[in-house]
Amino acid sequence: MSAGQKATLAPEPDSETGAVAVLAVLAGNEAYGIPLGSVREILAPPPMTEVPRAADHFLGVISVRGEIITVIDLPKLLNLEVVHDGTYGRVLLVDNGQELIGMAVDRVIQVYRLEPEQIEYASAMGADLSDYVIGVGRVQGETTGKSDDILILIDPVSLLGGIA
Amino acid sequence: MSDPRDNVQQEFLVEAQELVEALSRDLLLLDEAHHRGERIDPALINEIFRSVHTLKGIAGMFGYKHVGTVAHALEDLLDDLRLGRMSVGQNLLDVLFDSVEHFQRLLTLEDPQSPQEEAGVQQYIAAIRSVGVEEEIEEGDPLEKYAIDPAVLTVLTEYEEHRLRACIREGLQLYRLRASFDLMSIDDSIEELREHAQEDVEIITYLPSMEGGNDDTIELVVLLAARVTEEELKAQFGGRYGSIDAIAEQTHLPTLPPQHTSIPVLSMGPSLEDDGGHASLRSVADSVRVDIRKLDHLMNVVGELALVRSAVNRIVDRFKNDLTYRQSVMDLDRVGRGFERQLSELRTGILDVRMVPLGQVFNKLARIVRQAAREHDKQVRLVVTGASTEVDKLIVEELTDPLMHLVRNAIDHGIESPEARARAHKGEEGTLALNAYHRGSNVVIEVEDDGDGMDAHRLRDKAVERGLLSVEASQELSRQDMLNLVFLPGLSTSSEVTDMSGRGVGMDVVKTNILRLGGMISIASEQGTGTKITVTLPITLAIIRALIVSVASRTYALPITAVREAIPYVPEDVRTIQGREVITLRGETLAISDLARLFGFRKSSQQEGQFVVVGSMGNRELGFVVDELIGQEDVIIKSLGKSLSSVRGFAGATDLGDKQVALVLDAPALFTEYFDGPDAFRSLETRP
Repeated sequence: MSAGQKATLAPEPDSETGAVAVLAVLAGNEAYGIPLGSVREILAPPPMTEVPRAADHFLGVISVRGEIITVIDLPKLLNLEVVHDGTYGRVLLVDNGQELIGMAVDRVIQVYRLEPEQIEYASAMGADLSDYVIGVGRVQGETTGKSDDILILIDPVSLLGGIA
Repeated sequence: MSDPRDNVQQEFLVEAQELVEALSRDLLLLDEAHHRGERIDPALINEIFRSVHTLKGIAGMFGYKHVGTVAHALEDLLDDLRLGRMSVGQNLLDVLFDSVEHFQRLLTLEDPQSPQEEAGVQQYIAAIRSVGVEEEIEEGDPLEKYAIDPAVLTVLTEYEEHRLRACIREGLQLYRLRASFDLMSIDDSIEELREHAQEDVEIITYLPSMEGGNDDTIELVVLLAARVTEEELKAQFGGRYGSIDAIAEQTHLPTLPPQHTSIPVLSMGPSLEDDGGHASLRSVADSVRVDIRKLDHLMNVVGELALVRSAVNRIVDRFKNDLTYRQSVMDLDRVGRGFERQLSELRTGILDVRMVPLGQVFNKLARIVRQAAREHDKQVRLVVTGASTEVDKLIVEELTDPLMHLVRNAIDHGIESPEARARAHKGEEGTLALNAYHRGSNVVIEVEDDGDGMDAHRLRDKAVERGLLSVEASQELSRQDMLNLVFLPGLSTSSEVTDMSGRGVGMDVVKTNILRLGGMISIASEQGTGTKITVTLPITLAIIRALIVSVASRTYALPITAVREAIPYVPEDVRTIQGREVITLRGETLAISDLARLFGFRKSSQQEGQFVVVGSMGNRELGFVVDELIGQEDVIIKSLGKSLSSVRGFAGATDLGDKQVALVLDAPALFTEYFDGPDAFRSLETRP
C-alpha cells in the first residue's frame, strides 16, 4: 500500500470540487489538520487523572459521561517542543479505529474546507515524512498569524491506532 | 451516635414506602382485572383498603399530617367501594393511581407538616370526593331468594351483608360449615381457615351455634359462598373442620338464639375497625427488608473472620515442625480448613442476599406504562418475563431511571395510537415486553415494543442539521450507525425527532447511566415493526468495595478484599533487609512498599501521619505506604482503554463522581511485582 493510498481524505459529498473539511489545531508551534469526520467531540479539558508508569505521551484518563477515556498529549506524541505549562486548551475525542482517544491540543483554530488544489499529498512531496502524515494543506488565515500558512494533515487512525 | 428518634422515623418511612409499593402493585392488579372485564376479587379491594388504612394509622403516629389526611379520604372512598356503594371505573382508578404519586411525594417532605403542601393535598382530596358515590343498581334483593332470619341480618356487618348479596348475585352457592374450635386457639384456627379458603371460596361470616361445644370449645357455623361443588368443598374443608352442607334456596339459614344477638360477632371481613397501625405486624411476608449497610457490616465481619483464620494459620505454621504438638497442630490445621470453607460459603451467601429480583424495578415500570399509555390514549399490554432474574441491589437502584426512560420512550414514540395501528393492520393494543435473563456473568434486559420503529434516515438528517455530524461522515453510515446516533447528546431530546419534548433526559443520559454501571446498551429497530433496546449489565462483579487512599495528592482505590488492616506509619521503625524496607508488626517482619515511590512521584517518604495499608494475598503480606486513608466506598471498576493495557499495577479506573477518576490498584499484580518480578521493586525514575 503506497503512502498516497493509505491516507486519502474523503471529500465532502456536497462539494462539486472535491473539497475536504479539516479541523485545524495548534500543537506546540505547528498547526495540524485532522479530518473533521474522525473528530467526535471537542471538550474543555476535564479533570485529568494521571496514570503512573504509562508512557510519557499519555496525559492520563478522563471520564466522559461515565466512560473512561485515555488522553494523549499530542505535542509530546509528535515530539514537538512543549510550549505550554502543562495545561491544554482542548481535548478532542478521536476515533482511532479501536476506541475513542482523547487528544489534548493547545488550541482549536477553526474548520477549513480545503479545495484539492490546496492539498499537497505526502506521496508527492518525496520528503521522508511519518506514516501518519497525509500531506499538507495550504491555507490563508490566522493559524499562526502568517498570511500563507500550512496545515500538517494527519490521519488519526495511523497516528493513534496501535498506540501504547 | 444516631438519634433513636431518627431510627424510628426511618423505620416508619421504610414501612410507609412498603405500603405504598404494595398499594401500587395492588392497584395495577385491580386495573388489569377491570380492563379485562374480570370479576374483581374482593380480597384485592380489602388489601388495598388495608394498606391505606395502615398507612393512615402510622402516618398519624409519626406526625405525617398530609399523608394521614390523604389516606383518610382514600379510606372513605375505598370503604364505599368495599361495601359495593360504588363500582370500579376509570375515574376511580385514576384517582387511586394518583394517590401513589401523592404519597411518595408527601413521604419525602423535609417537613411532613409543610403548610405549602396544604393546597395540593386539599385539591387532591376534592378530586377523591368528586369521584362520588354511585348507588348500586338494585335488581331486587337477592337475599330474598333465601329465607334469612332477620336476626342474622342484624348481626352481619354492612360489609358482610354486601358480600353476601354480591356472592348470591354472582351465582355462588352458599354453604354452611359447622366446626368446633378450641377457645384457647380460636383466633389461630380462624386464621388458618381463612388461609385455607381458596380463590373460589369466600367466607362471609361465622356465627356461634347453639349446639355442641363445652367449656373449652365453641361450635361455630361458618357461612361460605363458593363457586365449587359441594364435593370439592368437602374435600377441601370437610375432614378438617366438621360438616358441610349446601344451603338450598328458600331454606332457612341458621338462626341465632335470641340471647346471642347482642354478642359481638367475630367479624370475618378483615377486622379493620380497631387494628390501627398493627395490621402490618400480622402481614405474612416471606421476605424481609434489610438496610444494605447491615449487609456491608456483615461483609466486614466476614473480613475480620478471615483475619482470624490467617492468625490461626500463622500459629499452625509456627508449630508445624514441633514434634511435641504434631498431632494437635494437624488437627488445628484441619479444623482451620473447614472454617475457611464455611467462611467462603458465608461470603457467597451475603453476596447472594444483596441480589434482588428485577421484578422490583419492573413493578415500578408497570405503573409508568399505565400512566404513559393513558396520557397518550394508547393501548399497551405489558408482558414481563424473567422478573425473578437477580441482580446486585446497587445495580437495580441505578437501573430504575434508565429503564423508566426507555419504557416511556417506547410508549411515547414507539407504540402507535390504536387508529394508526389499525391502519397498519396491527392489533389496536400494542405490546411492550420487558425481558430479563442471565447470559454468562451478565444480565440482559430487553425493552421491546411492536410499535412503529425508528426512522434511521431521519435521525441521520437531524444529526447533520444539528451539526453533530458532518455531511460527509453521514454518507458513510450504515443503518445501524444511524440508529446509534440516538445516543448522541443533543439529539434525542429534540422535539422534532421524537414528537415529544420537555422530558429533558435523552438517550445519551440513558447510555451514560448504563455505561457507569459497567454495562452496554444496543438498539435494534425495524421501521413499522418495532424497536428493541438491549441492556447488558454485570451481575455484580463490577462493583467492589474499596479502600480509597491518597498518595502524593492523588486518589487511588484499593480493593478491600486485599486489605487486612491499616496501621500508622512510623518512619523511625523502618529497617532495611538487603535494600528492602521492612517494619515489625506484632513480632513479625512485614515488607513495605511506598506507593509514591513505586509510582515515581517522589524519592522517599519521611513524613509523619502516613499509613501502612497491610495487604494480604495467599500467605504473603505486603504493606503499602499511603499518605491518607479517605474511606471505604463501593466503586464500579471500568477497564482502562486498550492503549493503557500494558501498564501494570492497575485493575482499572472508577468514577468517583464530579468527573473525578481514581485508578483502582491491582493488588495481585503489585504483589507479584514485588515478590516475583524479574526486577522486583524497581522504582521508576522520579517525576518532577
